[in-house]
Amino acid sequence: MRALLVLALLAGVTPLRTLRAQDPRLAARLDKATLTAVSAVIDSARVAKLPTAPLVDKALEGAARGSESGRIVNAVHQLSARMATSRGVLGASASADEIKSAAAALDAGVGERDLARVHAACGKRPVTMSLAVLTDLIGRNVPIPTATNVVLQLARSSISDSELALFQRNVRADIDRGADPGVAATTRARGLVVRTTPASPKPAE
Amino acid sequence: MKNIARELRAPVPVSESFDARVMDAVRSMPRYGRLGLWSRLTTPRRRTFTITPLTLGLIAAGIGVFALLGAAHAYVDVNRAAKPIVAALGSKKAEPAQRVQFVLVAPDAKKVAVVGDFNGWDSRHAQYQAQHRGGGVWSVTAPVPVGHHRYSFVVDDSVWVVDPSAPRLVDSDYGVANSALLVEHQQ
Repeated sequence: MRALLVLALLAGVTPLRTLRAQDPRLAARLDKATLTAVSAVIDSARVAKLPTAPLVDKALEGAARGSESGRIVNAVHQLSARMATSRGVLGASASADEIKSAAAALDAGVGERDLARVHAACGKRPVTMSLAVLTDLIGRNVPIPTATNVVLQLARSSISDSELALFQRNVRADIDRGADPGVAATTRARGLVVRTTPASPKPAE
Repeated sequence: MKNIARELRAPVPVSESFDARVMDAVRSMPRYGRLGLWSRLTTPRRRTFTITPLTLGLIAAGIGVFALLGAAHAYVDVNRAAKPIVAALGSKKAEPAQRVQFVLVAPDAKKVAVVGDFNGWDSRHAQYQAQHRGGGVWSVTAPVPVGHHRYSFVVDDSVWVVDPSAPRLVDSDYGVANSALLVEHQQ
């Protein structure tokens, strides 16, 4: 009798738990099958202590774009996997924004090893801005190895986030004016590093 | 009275086999030995219960109440479990939002809206409807929470356009790019 009671409670409560733990916008914009599949991915992410808001956003974006059900579920699943990888590289103390930007970098084609190198180069500073710049450079057709080296160079030079943003704008402007993306990025980075590196003292004569 | 007392004191006549049956029953009972209490607790004994329909009904009602209390407790737990999501989503609202200007040059557009993870990708969100400023320039200044965001413009409710002045985010999931926005705490 007691076992039956426990089973009945579990059977009754589990769907309730799943349904109640969701963002209501998902139920409003996804069909039932998609909602169930997406909810399962989100529940798994929550259990893995990954940020779930980006997954909700990804599903909402798919719905807003009119993507088909399978694509939405796959997108949410892929993002969850990338965030798990990102958290593995950045460590358990990584913020949700860092995990999000790392997942975007992975999506852009940055390897886990390079992600770890950028993370190490940033030291105790948040890696978010560096990874955002890296992803932007790749999105503007700067070759991935070049973009990675440029961002590593800037991160090791302790360039501030505002200087990184300025660098990003300058590279974008150069590319828009017709410059080769790789050359624009390396040239602008070199100039920034030279400007922020203290001049070496003159050798004694 | 004396007669009654004499009757009660007189030995009761029983059959000869009665004593033997009583002793057999006593011998068949479990012996508890030195660990009497433990043996009493662990030795199986046959018990016979009778139950009336009313008692059965009361027990069923009790189980029902117990189940309802359990479900209510689980409901509270569910709400607690839901808090991280709500908090994660709500935190964007709770954190200090910065006002961000979005600008798109779209001379042929009849309507321009900003969609992103800060407004649930809702192109009908009133705060993110761009206004035509003349000369094909559309803009809106709207609150965006601190953090790293993805967004796009939606032109005429159908065409998604990245912000040409913002960092670009490759998105292999839906096969399109978004714009990136990093909103920081105001110093």
